Amino acid sequence: MTDLLLSEAEKMFIIHGVQDNLRVDGRSCDDYRHIELETDVVSSANGSARLKLSQTDVLVGVKADLTTPPTDNPDVGTLEFFVDCSANAAPTFEGRGGEDLARDISSTLARAYSSDRCSSSMLKALCVVPSEQCWVLYIDILILECGGSLYDAVSIAVKAALSSTKVPVVKVTSSDGGKPELELSDDPYDSLRINVKHAPCNVTLSKIGHSHVVDASLEEEVCSLASLMMAVTEEGTVTMLKKSACGSLHPESIYEMLETGKNVGLNLNKQLTRQLLDEECLHTQMGTNREPKGFL
Amino acid sequence: MAGVEVVSEQGFRTDGRKPNELRRIRCKQGVFSHADGSAYIEQGNTKVLATVYGPHEIRGSRSKALHDRAYVNCQFSMATFSTGERKQRPRGDRKSTEMTMHMKQTFEATILTQLYPRSQIDIFVEVLQADGGNFAACVNAATLALIDAGIPLKDYVCACTVGFVDDVTIVDINHLEETNHIAEFTVAMLPKSEQFVMLEMSSRLHLDHLSKVMDMATKACKDVHLVLDRAVRDHVSEVWQQLGNT
Amino acid sequence: MKDHPLSNCEEKFVLAAIAENRRFDGRGVYIYRPIVILYGHDRGCCHVQIGCTRVLAQVSCEVIIPKQTRPNEGVLHMNVELSPMACPSFEAGKQSDYGVEVNRALERLLRDSLCIDLESLCIMSGEKVWQIRVDVHVLNHDGNLIDCSSIAAIAALSHFRRPDVTVSGEEVTIHPLDEKDAVPLSVNHIPLSVTFAFFDQGRTLLVDPTDQEERVMDGKMVVGINKHRELCMLHVSGKMLVLQDQVVRCVNIAAARVGEITDLIKDTLEKDNAARKSGKEFGFAKCLADVILGVDDLLKHYVDSMSVDTTSVGQTAKTVVDADGNRVQMEVDNAETGNVSIKVPGTGKMSTNTEGGAVTWCEGEESDSDVILLDKNDSTSSEVSSKQVSAVVELSDSEEESVLMTSQDLERTELSKSRAIETRENRGGRCRGKSFGGRNRGKRGRGNGQRYF
Repeated sequence: MTDLLLSEAEKMFIIHGVQDNLRVDGRSCDDYRHIELETDVVSSANGSARLKLSQTDVLVGVKADLTTPPTDNPDVGTLEFFVDCSANAAPTFEGRGGEDLARDISSTLARAYSSDRCSSSMLKALCVVPSEQCWVLYIDILILECGGSLYDAVSIAVKAALSSTKVPVVKVTSSDGGKPELELSDDPYDSLRINVKHAPCNVTLSKIGHSHVVDASLEEEVCSLASLMMAVTEEGTVTMLKKSACGSLHPESIYEMLETGKNVGLNLNKQLTRQLLDEECLHTQMGTNREPKGFL
Repeated sequence: MAGVEVVSEQGFRTDGRKPNELRRIRCKQGVFSHADGSAYIEQGNTKVLATVYGPHEIRGSRSKALHDRAYVNCQFSMATFSTGERKQRPRGDRKSTEMTMHMKQTFEATILTQLYPRSQIDIFVEVLQADGGNFAACVNAATLALIDAGIPLKDYVCACTVGFVDDVTIVDINHLEETNHIAEFTVAMLPKSEQFVMLEMSSRLHLDHLSKVMDMATKACKDVHLVLDRAVRDHVSEVWQQLGNT
Repeated sequence: MKDHPLSNCEEKFVLAAIAENRRFDGRGVYIYRPIVILYGHDRGCCHVQIGCTRVLAQVSCEVIIPKQTRPNEGVLHMNVELSPMACPSFEAGKQSDYGVEVNRALERLLRDSLCIDLESLCIMSGEKVWQIRVDVHVLNHDGNLIDCSSIAAIAALSHFRRPDVTVSGEEVTIHPLDEKDAVPLSVNHIPLSVTFAFFDQGRTLLVDPTDQEERVMDGKMVVGINKHRELCMLHVSGKMLVLQDQVVRCVNIAAARVGEITDLIKDTLEKDNAARKSGKEFGFAKCLADVILGVDDLLKHYVDSMSVDTTSVGQTAKTVVDADGNRVQMEVDNAETGNVSIKVPGTGKMSTNTEGGAVTWCEGEESDSDVILLDKNDSTSSEVSSKQVSAVVELSDSEEESVLMTSQDLERTELSKSRAIETRENRGGRCRGKSFGGRNRGKRGRGNGQRYF
């Protein structure tokens, strides 16, 4: 990501502020910045979401396709994550410059979504014909701007995009002697929705000084020595845990961070679900009059 | 895909437009704060984002530096979910490399590069949704982004696609019309001097119709210019007001 | 490997010549270099030469599963390889930007203009179709690759025969060549490309630019057109701005040129077909023997020695030398300039008398054995000497600093080496206009460039 240079005085200022539970932009240590979320911005995809977390901008598109299910799990569908760091975010991402970061984010997401509960609730519905055909959801994440807290933004956007995904309903008519015929329904309103109840949201806790903050901005990320990333579901279960950056963490601080993270995560999930529901109602109300605002 | 009529007997196209009507263009400048200049444009269902960084020092190998002018670096990339069928790679394939080269040539001819020797100007374009006229939308978006970044240009670069089918010239073709193998012209020009910066044509067109098509393309680009100019002036007056001046 | 760059004076020279509508090989501005089309032994193999640019195209076919969106159509795949054999700046493996440009131009010209009927390549809808693959290899790059590749590709496609197929119900039989005759591809029309190089903000146009002209051009326009005046492809590249009437003018010129080339392709195809039918030899071995290495050809290349008008030489020489800062007080004697004649294209020869004779301007201080006369009949001599012109010769004689030469009107040479070199007077001796051998104690004029110090 972009290399930000901070002077020692600025770093001290941030660290002291955090210790008093007061951050540079006036937030407390557990507050998220202003989030703008909109779903269904890209009409060529089955589901999409655009998330703007202050300076971080992420666009997620979900496309569904039919394929043969994996041999070890013949009666579930699959999720495929692909992250593309666009050169818009930083000139260093041009060509193949952003591939390291992209690989990191996609593997983190894959791990977060690989828990049994999550996969069983979401993926079972994606099966069409056991051992023969199933839906695969290609989740493509486009990073347009990096302003700190990238993993969190990506996970929220992915959950929102999945909840707005409409997969066409497939009618299986078994033809005589051999392969079953699949018929995709032509009706755009006759579609399958994904159950994102158990989809996790990522919460990143960065250790600054002796305390930790949620949703670090770029300047705060430079000051933090170590950070802990956890994927939290609606019930408070943690599906993924990852420590990054080069500093070390004391087990006690890890415990504290986990507690904070869990609470924040629960809150975040609740708010998100409520917002998505509201938006859904709005969409059904407006019907065809709705015009996605997108970037305008 | 034979059998799909591009222009019906009443003279309407598949999306209800007349042959010489452009799609609705909506655009916004200053979408991102980190880049020096950015713009977003929607031409019908084609949505494109462009960002400009520069002029800044040459990044990477110093050998690219030109002693008397700026080096223009472009990248054209399409999101994997932008097309009907999912794209495997956002960039790096032949078509994207070709588009990148065309954009670079287009803007090298338009930016006053002699004013910034030994520096680099980056133009990055991302197609979010592709519904025909992708390259034209990219050029328009990049023009707006360059204006937003304050880089001096000879003139607006306005681009448009024009098709010719059944003796009718249609303007601003969408994806459905493109797949019908019609003669397709992609044109980028400077509207004031009527000079073409870039011309691409594919499929077959009889020479007798050439001047008719080119005249139509000129007119379409001038229409696009009006829309873009209006958008730029509105944006500037809005920013002026926000800065506390009336 | 990096290509050797063009020096500023070479560039200026080429541009100045083009501004006067003069090209190095004496062509008119809208004339192509001689085009040679040869067919190989295999069907679908074609070798095209435009001047020194050489391209080889090979067509092959394969049965594949068609695309889901187009189940009734075959696939035409084009691939252009710019091998390092053609030009040292081309890299093996990765396609450079220029490679992508040529590739895409050919794809648009042949594939998007539907020159081959793709629906005729369908064997079983949705299951089996023919994939026709055209591989173009560039063997030598001397400018105008796109035109050469397009001629090669379309000639190869017209030459190619695919195996015959019979479909009976669900059974598909592909007949080997000894069972049933191979079937030609259904070529709808023959699209060809014509490249225009623009100079001087679009005021001067050249057709079929050579490598040198391509390096100094402002931009180029590639027009793809067929004999029926249908525009198939248009591509403007380079950092230049064109006007509509320029485009229309180019397109009309292209339409005129394309007719001739199409006729040439059809002629050569017919000859090859006739040769195959009548059992005569065909293929590269035969063609090369006839066209390139044949004795007839040597004789064809023989040109009578042409003489050059040297009446204004003295004046021009004086102007050149004066323009160079007037360092030399040189009196050029018109009567002594001698005859300049051209033996072989690209060389010049100058002498006061046809026999040569002894060098008259060495004041007799060196022994004759040190001075080696120019071998008059050695046609490579003047070529070599003009190559070695810029060498600074370090001589044992301390009275001489450096000897460089002025070349007089060797305007017909196609070598773009530096032209005017100053002459330093040495020992007060008059440098007569025929300074060819210079004060160099010989060595010039030896084909092997040996030096005797």
